[in-house]
Amino acid sequence: MNTNAEEQELKDRLSLIESMIAEGRRTTESWGWTFVFWGVAYYVAIIWTAVTHWPWAWLVTMAAAWVVCMAIIQRKQKSPPERRPGTTIGRAIFSIWCAMGVSLTLLLPALGFSGRFNQHVFVAVVAAMLGGANGASGMIIRWKAQIASAIVWWVAAVAACFGSDDQATVVFLVAIFLCQIVFGGYAMLWEARMRRLGAVNA
Amino acid sequence: MPELPELNPVIHGKLRLALLSLLIGVEEAEFTWLRSKTNSTDGNLGAQLLKLEEAGYVAVEKKFVQRKPQTLYRMTDAGRAALTEYVQALKQLLGGAMEA
Repeated sequence: MNTNAEEQELKDRLSLIESMIAEGRRTTESWGWTFVFWGVAYYVAIIWTAVTHWPWAWLVTMAAAWVVCMAIIQRKQKSPPERRPGTTIGRAIFSIWCAMGVSLTLLLPALGFSGRFNQHVFVAVVAAMLGGANGASGMIIRWKAQIASAIVWWVAAVAACFGSDDQATVVFLVAIFLCQIVFGGYAMLWEARMRRLGAVNA
Repeated sequence: MPELPELNPVIHGKLRLALLSLLIGVEEAEFTWLRSKTNSTDGNLGAQLLKLEEAGYVAVEKKFVQRKPQTLYRMTDAGRAALTEYVQALKQLLGGAMEA
């Protein structure tokens, strides 16, 4: 190392490495809409069940929502010009939500067919699973808002074990509103802000 | 006095260094994504990626998606190790410069 210019050159290399790693990991994907989408789907299923008392309303709504959600995600991922590459963190979070979806899809009909299904069990199971998925995702990306959302779901899961059926339903409706609609809306605003900042820094 | 390390010449090129740094954070990346992130030309990018491929630092996969050609680049274990070594050598050199 002879001159300050050489030292500066080495520092530039180090900062280039740091900035490129950050650039590669920076997410431009938007997932906030999925929270709002699923929140609306839950409300549709609840209203459909309440109005018609059809036992398959939940399963049909969730299956339809799953198909539509996957179609939208695939369409967004294929969007040109530069498809963003996947990261290990992104795959980890996606896996958590897929696994949660499979768990609910298997467990809830099984509870129904076994005759052990009731409003308390339903709300407690769904809320605990959503709390788990939100909590794990929030901890991976260190996002306090999502961890707060997980805490609301966990509180709802515990609260659903007590009180009447109607009270359990109210707890569920409130948790959906806070953790899906409000949190989803906040996530969409946050993502839009991040995209704007990214555009400015680009 | 400890001997200062030499910097790997394959990685030392600015564009190649940027490419490896980008690839270490993702599972695999398309040619077009790498081009947009590095603001490089097709020719230069292709040449530098070929050098990295020849050194065994990146693996290439060419395929067709909906009848359109797609070239995907993925960092190999050798590339990961080489970049880690390069960063350590850089830090050592900078540490030596600060002590001097």
